[in-house]
Amino acid sequence: MLDTYTVCSTVYDIHHMPHSQDNPSLLEHLRLELRRGSLILAVLACLRSEQYGYTLRKALSDRGMEIEEGTLYPLLRRLETQGLLLSEWREEEKRNKRFYRLSPLGTEILEKLLAEWKAIDSSLDQIVKG
Amino acid sequence: MDPLERYLNNLSKLLPAAQRDDIIRELSEDIQSEMDDKREELGRALNEQEQIDLLNRRGNPLKVAAAYQQEHRSLAFGRQWIGPVLFPFYIRVLTFNLSLTFFILTIIFAGLYFGGQTVHVNEVFSNFLLQIFLQFTAVTIIFALIERHLAKNPSHWTTLQVRSLHLPDAEKRPRKVSRLESISIIIASAVALIWMQAVWSHLFLIFGPAASFLRLAPIWYQIYWPTVAIIFASMLRATVNLVRPDWVRFRAVSRIIFDAAGLFLLFVLIRAQYWVVLAGEAKNQPAGKAHMLQVVNQWTYFALWIAAAIAIAETVSHIVRFVRTIHGPSSAGM
Repeated sequence: MLDTYTVCSTVYDIHHMPHSQDNPSLLEHLRLELRRGSLILAVLACLRSEQYGYTLRKALSDRGMEIEEGTLYPLLRRLETQGLLLSEWREEEKRNKRFYRLSPLGTEILEKLLAEWKAIDSSLDQIVKG
Repeated sequence: MDPLERYLNNLSKLLPAAQRDDIIRELSEDIQSEMDDKREELGRALNEQEQIDLLNRRGNPLKVAAAYQQEHRSLAFGRQWIGPVLFPFYIRVLTFNLSLTFFILTIIFAGLYFGGQTVHVNEVFSNFLLQIFLQFTAVTIIFALIERHLAKNPSHWTTLQVRSLHLPDAEKRPRKVSRLESISIIIASAVALIWMQAVWSHLFLIFGPAASFLRLAPIWYQIYWPTVAIIFASMLRATVNLVRPDWVRFRAVSRIIFDAAGLFLLFVLIRAQYWVVLAGEAKNQPAGKAHMLQVVNQWTYFALWIAAAIAIAETVSHIVRFVRTIHGPSSAGM
């Protein structure tokens, strides 16, 4: 449905869309677009084993998936609200930390997303190779 | 207070109330962990500047808080003018001002219509449209300037002096007056003052086509300065709370005093019995206008009683909150 937010966002996005002559900026924009979709998959996959926010961020970063705290924590909250993650506060090393892990629904969804990812990867591979 | 506490304190005021404590606890833990890693790496504790640099890298609290907003609504014409954090306050101020104006305009036009005056749809439409345009422009400009100021000063939080934040015992934290609420009150009051001044010199803003033969009754001139004084006092109170958000009791007491003063003015208004009079020239031909004038005054009378009922309910609610501040954790605040 076309609402005010959609219109405003579209106007804003179009206005801020990098021009084709501005190559580094355009590349960065497209790179971010590409990463945005795969980020959820990476976070869900990492949370097959329980982790708290900071270690999760480091684990992602160590595997080449840099993510800002301002992106990660709201994403974790959203995934938890959607029922894909479970969380609990627990003390570790004398500090209270919030631990996240995949919920049964999250595990199920992750499997399906991974299958989808592999299919996309295979298709892309064929397209790129011509 | 160390930079981390200052940062979290400023951030906490911008977060959605329902999740505030939870988010702050989690972010606090994340930042502490990063500082621990950095300390291990350097083999010494971080100095204040290093802590500030680390926090600045995480971004302005306004930007960080925006990511947690459940509704990412914003105002954008080409570029974003009002972001998701300020947007709910912007809508609140705009709605309040427009509702008040529309309420008054509706009474005037209804009075004119039922009084036998011909009211053309285009006159009603153009009057309402003019009000929307004026209020929208004024409120949007003010909020856009605030947004711009906050965006241009990403390290502004480092200079703010606020009271200590007690983590993680959030329930023991003293309650505070939201700075955004104080800013909203200042803006709403400023717009109300401008609007009052505009109506005073341009009666068509409120009477529409009837401005040619209707005038405000003398009672409005009698209560003009007391009304301005109450609005100024509210702005002053909000400014004080902007600087001292921990003065919760100060807000509670002042609000009750302003409520009482407002109720007194309403009582004076209700006692006046007529609020709109005919202009000098119209007095010579009052035959058709007299009935219409009577209807307008009758509608105003009912409207004032409705306003009084709302004001009494507000006052009671403010008294209840004041009693709570006496017994609550904020009692330490002035």
